[in-house]
Amino acid sequence: MDQFLQHVLNALILGGTYALLGIGLTLIFGIMRVVNFAHGELYAFGAYMMYLWVMVLGTNFYLALPLAVLLGVMLGALMEFVLLRKMRGADIDTTMLIMIGAWIALQNTQQLTWTGVAKSIDSPFPTSPLVLGSVSVSWNRLFVFIVALALIGATYVIINRTRLGKAMRATFQDRDTAALMGVDINRIYTATFALGSGLAAAAGALLGPVFVVYPTMGDLASLKAFAIVILGGLGSIPGATIGGFILAFMEELGAGYVSSGYRDAMGFLLIIIILLVKPTGLFAQKERIG
Amino acid sequence: MRLIEGKIGMMFRTLKTALAVLGATLLAATASAQDTIKIGVTQPLTGAFAASGNYVTQGAKIAEEQINAAGGVLGKKIQLIVEDNKSNPTEAVSTAEKLITREKVPVMLGAWSSTLTLAVMPKLEEYKVPMLVETSSSGKITTSGNPFIFRISPTSEMEAKAFSPLFKKMNIKKADFLATNNDFGLGASKEFSAAAKAAGVQVGVMETMDPKATDFSAQLAKIKASGSDTLFVTTAVEQITLILKQAKDQQVKARIITTGGSNSPDQLIQQAGDAANDSYHLVFFTPWFPEAVKNPDIAKRFVSLWNEKKYHVGGLTEGFRGWDGIYTITAAIKAAGKAEPEAIRKALWNVKVKGINGDIAFIKQGPAGKESAQNVPSVYLVKIAGGKVTRQ
Amino acid sequence: MKRGLTLAWLLFLASVPLWLDNLYILHVLIMTGIFVIAAMSLNLLLGYTGQLSLGHVAFFGIGAYVSSLTTLGFSVHLLPDWQVSADPKPVWFGMLLGTVVAGLFGWAIGRLAFKVRGAYFVIVTISFAEVIRLVALNWVELTQGPMALNNIPYLRLGIPEVFEVAFLRKPANYYLVLAVGILCYIIIRRLVKSRAGRAMIALRENEPLASSVGVDVTRYLVLATVVSAAMAGAAGTLYAHYVRIVDPDVFLFIYTVTMVIMVISGGKGTLAGPVVGGIIFGLLPEVLRSARVPPEMQWVVYGVLMILVVYFLPQGIVPAVRDWWLSRRAADAPDVPAEATTKAASR
Repeated sequence: MDQFLQHVLNALILGGTYALLGIGLTLIFGIMRVVNFAHGELYAFGAYMMYLWVMVLGTNFYLALPLAVLLGVMLGALMEFVLLRKMRGADIDTTMLIMIGAWIALQNTQQLTWTGVAKSIDSPFPTSPLVLGSVSVSWNRLFVFIVALALIGATYVIINRTRLGKAMRATFQDRDTAALMGVDINRIYTATFALGSGLAAAAGALLGPVFVVYPTMGDLASLKAFAIVILGGLGSIPGATIGGFILAFMEELGAGYVSSGYRDAMGFLLIIIILLVKPTGLFAQKERIG
Repeated sequence: MRLIEGKIGMMFRTLKTALAVLGATLLAATASAQDTIKIGVTQPLTGAFAASGNYVTQGAKIAEEQINAAGGVLGKKIQLIVEDNKSNPTEAVSTAEKLITREKVPVMLGAWSSTLTLAVMPKLEEYKVPMLVETSSSGKITTSGNPFIFRISPTSEMEAKAFSPLFKKMNIKKADFLATNNDFGLGASKEFSAAAKAAGVQVGVMETMDPKATDFSAQLAKIKASGSDTLFVTTAVEQITLILKQAKDQQVKARIITTGGSNSPDQLIQQAGDAANDSYHLVFFTPWFPEAVKNPDIAKRFVSLWNEKKYHVGGLTEGFRGWDGIYTITAAIKAAGKAEPEAIRKALWNVKVKGINGDIAFIKQGPAGKESAQNVPSVYLVKIAGGKVTRQ
Repeated sequence: MKRGLTLAWLLFLASVPLWLDNLYILHVLIMTGIFVIAAMSLNLLLGYTGQLSLGHVAFFGIGAYVSSLTTLGFSVHLLPDWQVSADPKPVWFGMLLGTVVAGLFGWAIGRLAFKVRGAYFVIVTISFAEVIRLVALNWVELTQGPMALNNIPYLRLGIPEVFEVAFLRKPANYYLVLAVGILCYIIIRRLVKSRAGRAMIALRENEPLASSVGVDVTRYLVLATVVSAAMAGAAGTLYAHYVRIVDPDVFLFIYTVTMVIMVISGGKGTLAGPVVGGIIFGLLPEVLRSARVPPEMQWVVYGVLMILVVYFLPQGIVPAVRDWWLSRRAADAPDVPAEATTKAASR
């Protein structure tokens, strides 16, 4: 029973960051119809920026976090402007290939800049964990979980309560009509890509101090984000949120009670099963195959 | 349309340059002088094992400088030809092809992980060139009947055997195993659990993790529930750092012992902090107290040369393998009297070298008639206590 | 004229081992050849049916593993007390079986392709490759997992002890890869010029229209994936018996990406495209390597080149060169309407 409770707690904490990764990816796909293979690289970028601020420049931890996220937002906006703006109206395969190219170039640039040796980031949290009866969790992870939930909440507010969000939703539903009604599509696209990238960078900046930072860390993050998004339905934000938690529970319980070697296979098996049974994902309202 | 034409023109120019470079490399290959004795080195300088591969190469280069400063061998200088196998078996085969057929090296050092070494092995047989294996731990390397293999690193089996008496001494009653999912990790788990059983120790759970994984919460929750007193961990230093931290977060009570020697306690102290305290580590070189090894003079000299170069202090426990490897190869070249593969192969069988790890000499392993050579290295157990590495 | 060019090109390829005495370059050519075959097979799916499969390396790896296991023999427990074992079989049989099994997996994926398209199909194929990789990694009893299958035998053809060709040395392997490559090229050529091929292209261009005029969508998609997967599997078997070690890294996503780059840079949907792209991107790493470019930089170059190709040569090198050639001829002969060539060039 203790083991089970520990698994549940672990999954809950893990799910928060998974959701954060998934929301960023699904936002970009839903509004821009771009399958962002470089998503994991933004995650790695966030982590490396955290390393730069905290370990190289010696900035305060709590100040470094928003700075790292801000840099992620800026990189996202830049990528959208340079790589995707001219490709409006290109089919999904074309933009996908561009993003694969960006992914390879970014990852290896990071490797060149920071070398392959893993880096660790100091965090201001106490090293002894928070003990709750028979289970325990580190303060750092608890902090990550709370900030992740706050960021998810903030994303919901942006999408549902602001003018920008309204324009985004309009673009999501019908780009041409939105453009006719005076929505500046280019601005919306850049904002969307920047927001999605910022969320990925935030996940990286939060998890960097928990784990270690290394150049290929984005690969696993990308693949997990894809699993989450497929699970929740491409383009659905609530779907990605719940999908993040489902994947975390499957991995944690799968590793705990089935086989830890297949832990990272759970996500992919899930994708294949979902796509065979209910290809639109669990929570998509609209038919979006094509 | 003009625009496209311009692009095509540019493309042709690029293509021309590319062809010119290719042609130049073709020619360069035939025009290399024979005034040095070449030693081929294939190491993972990029990719998953990049950190370790670079350390081994740095150690080998220090040895190269020292040997050449002392006059080289057979009146010539030695020259390391280092190729990056990118942590990938296919690339490892390519590097062996290149070193043997293009650089014409008579002997090689490599290829760090067991999978990379296994990939290279058929090429050694094909071209009849011996290779000194400096790190790989899989038993398969010396038992599959490849007479061109000379290994100075211990197999997992030898390491487990060396540890066996300690099961009783450290009062281990029940042990769990957590290993990275590759040849190195699984091999160690298998050998150490067998040794544990033989010593009457109960074996608890045997968990694996993806070599790229960073979150071990699920495995650790399972290990915590198994209630054993000791956890054997076999993986690279990055994952050990995380395991130590996360085990503390989840209050895993078991004492942690890492095996495999590809671990740097210095880096653990630096990166895991408090969480590294009271963990034990099996290593093949103890730079913290060079006097403890069999040839303290050599060990001390190596440590001071390494520090002179300002190399990463965490790399010492890997770097020494490169030094030992190059010194062993050079001794064989000297004994052979000529830099030819078959002569070096024969000479390697009889070398006696004073290395950092201990005295290096080879015994026969594998099927009769096609034996591979295996050295019997020393294994040391150290403990991290109060942020320092201590002798056990 | 065109036929003469093809023949000259073939003669040139066949003569390479006769004058090239650098074995390392020959090795690079063999590996390039194997990847060219894989790229050609991917082109059949990507270029002719328009389905972007990013799990293509799975078929390559399945071919390699099946062939290796058949020729090495294996023994596994499918249930605790149900053991299945096989004795080593000849290499030619293993290679055939590897090709067929890869084709069978292709059939399953082809059926799937009918259900999911576009981004979903891409992600399904990636997941498929990743699951297969994890199985190869974790089913240690069968695949040796990360310990890799090694000492894989090389191919021998002929009658034992009478006349036998051993494919151990490089020239022999070079000719083997060349022969398989030519065979695959001919099969693809015949396929795309046939009724089935026209149906596939119709599907790519306008699926609703094609199915409304009676093109059986599923059938042709499945046919294309089966042939494509079997060819990738064949390339995998060549790889296994040449390199003589197979480990779960053959399923790495980066290999699929390499194949995709080869196809789109050469020109998807053209017969020569993957060959040209494959040769360029097969030799480029060696050029960069000898120019002492660090491998990370090499990959940065790959990534940037990929973006540049998509931007500036979306049709690939082969169509661009052909259009440029045609437009030059048009310029020489002013009576050809300029408009037609402009259209072709700016497509």
